[in-house]
Amino acid sequence: MSKATAPKAVSTTKKDPYSGKRVLRKVEPYIWIAPSVILMAIFILIPIISVFRMALNNVSKTGQLKGFNNFANFTKILKTPAFAMVLKNTLVWTIVVVVLSTVLGFMLALVLNNKFRGRKIARAIVVFPWATTLVIQASAWGFIINKDYGTLNTLLMKLRIISEPVNWTPTPEAYFGWEIACGIFVTIPFVTFCVLSGLQSIDGSYYEAATVDGATYWQKLFKITLPLVKSSLTVSTVLNIIYVFNSFPIIWTMTKGDPANRTDTLVTYLYKLAFYNGRQGEAAAVSVIGFLILLICASVYMIYTLRKGDGDL
Amino acid sequence: MKKILALLLALAMALSLVACANSNTPDPTKDPNAGTQETQKPDDQQPSGDKIDINVIAAEYGQNTKKWWADFQDEFNKTYENINLVVEVVSWNDIYTVVNTRLGSNPPDILNIDVFADYQADDLLLPAKDYVSEETYAKFYEAFLDQSVVDGTVWAIPDLASARAMYYNVDILEAAGVDKVPTTWDELKAACEKIKAYDSSIYPWGIDMTTDEGQAAFAYYIWNNGSDFTDADGNWILNDPKNVEAIEYAVGLVNDGLTNTDPANETRYDLQDLFGAGKLAMVIGPNSIPTYIADNYAKANTPKEEQINYAFAAIPTNGGNPSVSAGVMDRFMCFDNNHSAEKIEAIKTFFDFFYEDNRYSDWVLMEGFLPATSAGGEIVAASDPAMAPWVDIVGSCKFYPTAKAEWADVKQGVINVEQQALLGGNVQELLDNLQAEIAG
Repeated sequence: MSKATAPKAVSTTKKDPYSGKRVLRKVEPYIWIAPSVILMAIFILIPIISVFRMALNNVSKTGQLKGFNNFANFTKILKTPAFAMVLKNTLVWTIVVVVLSTVLGFMLALVLNNKFRGRKIARAIVVFPWATTLVIQASAWGFIINKDYGTLNTLLMKLRIISEPVNWTPTPEAYFGWEIACGIFVTIPFVTFCVLSGLQSIDGSYYEAATVDGATYWQKLFKITLPLVKSSLTVSTVLNIIYVFNSFPIIWTMTKGDPANRTDTLVTYLYKLAFYNGRQGEAAAVSVIGFLILLICASVYMIYTLRKGDGDL
Repeated sequence: MKKILALLLALAMALSLVACANSNTPDPTKDPNAGTQETQKPDDQQPSGDKIDINVIAAEYGQNTKKWWADFQDEFNKTYENINLVVEVVSWNDIYTVVNTRLGSNPPDILNIDVFADYQADDLLLPAKDYVSEETYAKFYEAFLDQSVVDGTVWAIPDLASARAMYYNVDILEAAGVDKVPTTWDELKAACEKIKAYDSSIYPWGIDMTTDEGQAAFAYYIWNNGSDFTDADGNWILNDPKNVEAIEYAVGLVNDGLTNTDPANETRYDLQDLFGAGKLAMVIGPNSIPTYIADNYAKANTPKEEQINYAFAAIPTNGGNPSVSAGVMDRFMCFDNNHSAEKIEAIKTFFDFFYEDNRYSDWVLMEGFLPATSAGGEIVAASDPAMAPWVDIVGSCKFYPTAKAEWADVKQGVINVEQQALLGGNVQELLDNLQAEIAG
């Protein structure tokens, strides 16, 4: 658009002393957004294009592209027995972490929205898990549940609840459960703060009017609070779906997807494919599949929740 | 006026961003780990005056590597004024990505890394004899050079090695009534049972079948059962009956409760920590274990009485086969960047300088590794009595078949088999499937 308007403006420069300003006004917005557009192009668009290119090419182990290979990367991945399990793990991981952390985060936000002594401290404490690096969080969780030197066993033995160390991770499923617990723990603060910001913007008079009309607590929660924080919840849920689906550090730090892909999600699986097996083309294909799944999930969710119009956001 | 100023500012910002992006693109190796060596930017395309540029990417083995290479670079450049050597030291975490990115635009002349077959498969390397002088070439152990052969040509030369042996806690074995250090699988199992009976809180035997290094466990057991990854002709024999027997034996030890709890998730380092803490009686580990344990004790200020009393012995074997140690070897390789004859001479000079016996033994000792040349071996053995038995071991140990193009898949494949077997899978079926997948 700027291309089309610029020559026209230049041709009138000599005649109209104010046209310089006019050109400026038209071009100005593009200059202001230029840095972010350039940044996005460099750090988002180019990598996306190169991942798609790798997914469609035969890629050698040293990363050289050897030509289009007729979707062989995709067919090979879809035929791998581990892929179905990894996909299932990814869905379980995303759904459980997002749903539970949203419910728990919402409840916590309701509690923190009440006025009570030490509310500020309580809010600060909620931020802690969020403010710590995920790798540190996951290492800490791994340290807590470790059978040999874990703090959970030490604590329970000191309290004389158990007499000898318990193996908290006897099966891959147990490991995955702990990873999910860690995922929920680190996701809650984000939901809480999104909801809390929504809650604080609700006018108190709604509740007063409802109380006068004799509404119960639950009626107020479902008829006033929920509809009014829906937009905040939508934002936090969509972002969480994306973050959790793509989350790498927790699983990588705790199990690396072991044993035998039982705790792998798409992201850890593709990392292993690319950097341990040297199959970068297939890894790129997994990445593209993940991208498409996310695109569909996020679009469906946004269309569903926002179909009543833009008004909510 | 303000608007124009603001506009100029915005333009400047945008331009500087583009400029940043440009200056970053050709040199993606700029990472904080690369350190001081980056003050001189490697740029093969622009010779600095009439000097010949050689740029090297080297792996960071430990805390001393950067300093060692920096000193080496200074000394080399002072000795050979017509050559401009630049060494970039890159951490193991980043080196593969750095090299792969550089291959597109500005490949290094010389690379120090562990694997070479992938680069060779893409026709990126020169044969070793082209860039190493005869004198230096003659110094290497023959068995080491054999590890870098593809189609009858040696493509890379060894820079150092490490070897593995069985470490055992002398006090635990004694207290448990194990009179003789186990040398066979039967003796090993019997010793494990005695240790378990003596104190059930001590793990008798350590096994690491993790994504980190599960292939090492596979190698320890199959090699010491008289088998291998490949037959004499280099064909994969992953489902050989002896390999099945070996993995069943190892998984059997886990199922009998004679090992650490979670071999699929406990890495070699976890095992070394347990061993150092006296919670693990025996474990197979590299020659660097004494340094590792001593460092940990120093860091934690462990009092003398809590430190363990340990020794090492040959890895136990089965069926009367001789004990085989697993060797790990890293390499130098030279990329085929259409070098001039002069440059090839300069590269030969570099290797002559590097493998000069005293300098080379200094390099090896710097991070506690083992030498890949016989002369280096003699110097190392003479200078450090603790290293002497290792120099013997490394001369006779076996290596992974890293020269084969399928190695990366085999490596991940055997780890997967081990982990499936730990979950109750049938070893024979798993190895049959892997063999079918790899050998087609």
